[in-house]
Amino acid sequence: MSAVLEVSNLRKSFGGITAVNGVSFDVHEGEILGIIGPNGSGKSTLFNCVLGQLTPNDGEVRIDGKPTTGMRPCDLNRLGVSRTFQLLQVFPQLSVRDNLILAGQEHQGTMFSRLFGASDAGMGDAASQMIDFFRLSHLAHEQAGSLSYGQQKLLDAAMAFMAGPRLVLLDEPAGGVNLTMLANLRERLQAYHAERKATFVVIEHQMEFVMALCTRVLVLAEGRVIAEGLPQDIRKNPIVIEAYLGH
Amino acid sequence: MNRFGALTLAIVLLAALVLPNFLKGYGIYLMSMWAVLSIAAMGLNLTLGYAGQVSLAQGAFVGIGAYTAALMMKAGVPYPLCFVSSGLVCFTIGWLLGYPALRVQHHYLAFVTLAFTTLVYLIFRNEEWLTGGTYGLSGIDRPSFFGLSTNGALGFFYFSFGIMVLLTAAAWWMLHSPWGRAFVALRENPVRALSLGLDTRRYTLMAFAIGSSIGGLAGAVFAPLVQYIEPLSFALDLSLNLLLMVIVGGSGFFFGPFVGALIAVLLPEWLRFIQGYYLICYAILVMAMMAFCPTGILGLVQRGVRLVAARRKAQQPTLLPERTSS
Repeated sequence: MSAVLEVSNLRKSFGGITAVNGVSFDVHEGEILGIIGPNGSGKSTLFNCVLGQLTPNDGEVRIDGKPTTGMRPCDLNRLGVSRTFQLLQVFPQLSVRDNLILAGQEHQGTMFSRLFGASDAGMGDAASQMIDFFRLSHLAHEQAGSLSYGQQKLLDAAMAFMAGPRLVLLDEPAGGVNLTMLANLRERLQAYHAERKATFVVIEHQMEFVMALCTRVLVLAEGRVIAEGLPQDIRKNPIVIEAYLGH
Repeated sequence: MNRFGALTLAIVLLAALVLPNFLKGYGIYLMSMWAVLSIAAMGLNLTLGYAGQVSLAQGAFVGIGAYTAALMMKAGVPYPLCFVSSGLVCFTIGWLLGYPALRVQHHYLAFVTLAFTTLVYLIFRNEEWLTGGTYGLSGIDRPSFFGLSTNGALGFFYFSFGIMVLLTAAAWWMLHSPWGRAFVALRENPVRALSLGLDTRRYTLMAFAIGSSIGGLAGAVFAPLVQYIEPLSFALDLSLNLLLMVIVGGSGFFFGPFVGALIAVLLPEWLRFIQGYYLICYAILVMAMMAFCPTGILGLVQRGVRLVAARRKAQQPTLLPERTSS
């Protein structure tokens, strides 16, 4: 199986604090890799370095074998890499449908052809399908800002899938979501993964969510990888229990 | 736009076309000024209201457009070419002014654009060989089209009104294309927009350039309207007034600048009876407006419409299943 994402010896410091310290890992096609670790272990910084939001001090990132270190997030997105953020990041003034169209429109033609093309940039049907897939049909024309937190989380995730990405990085998708909505989100992510064979990397604190969703788990502590393996093995790993679970 | 909105727009357009026939010269001049200021404020609304980039330079772009058109007209260049050139010159300068917006935001960007406005004013005032300095440029002719002169007040109103309608239609079309959605995304969450593949750098520059070029086109109509231009007309006061029009009308509402410009043009006339106190009254009205309705007049209207709709929905009888006797 080929590696979709390769991270080699990545390092990122902020002043005297090294948030990510020589992290290396691969993600293979069709895999769902979970990244866990206590608060401040460098998970989100790692994501931001991989996705071009931050420039690493050292190390390399490759997508499908192509070096992408320091590449701008919009260029990475066009290579088929998509993400969600730790905090909700929908466009509150736009409707649910427009949020989804926006999430896919930049993949249609050039900037100038979009100006003279259809107002939905040819993404109307894809948006409707995604709305149905994430069971948001009754909210399609509502302003995203008027949705409940859980519904916005679903929309946030749906937006990451609009452009049909090869690799999706989800930063705490379950954060602040109630149990019913959480089960719904997990089930939709699993269904999308089964249907499209996309590759996921998921940062999450909700252990049950990670154990049920991920095929492999990587554990970070103080900016380093301390363990890696199958979810059931990670659960029993004494180093992880000591560093992360604290007992 | 829904049926109610289309009907309202048709009535307003019809009224604007018919009303000047019942007005005297000064009244018609004020309506022409409203059309020109609406165009300029519409450009600022695109930059500020839609794309979220604070600008205190719109007045300077009106000035650049006005001077470009006036100088070319005085050199004998046909008006349509002067009009297009004003837009192109301002598009280019606006694009360049957009670069600081890639590095600074909010009040820092406001200061960058404020410095630009001051710079442009100084050029208008000091480069006498080109701009006429403090004496300005006079004797700017009004254009004629296919033998039809716009020299009269009514003729020029229809000309400026026509330009306003054309530019409004173009802006409407652009803001309802994927670009409009991208501009809103730029305003609401540029980090997320970037992660979704939007080249926020190019959209920011484009928002600045298009908004500025619309300001320049307003200037190209302003010059033949007043027939005399001088640097003070395009100093910071105009930029602040245009900003006020956008905010009072409703920033980010498509028709907000038109309402804002109407108030900015008509309010001083309505408050004329209190003479020197009119600016105090105007300031108090604006402060009250911002305190109680920061989304502007159209924001207030929208709130009212939503409230009425919610009340109507609440008053609708709930359909209960009929009781069956046991």
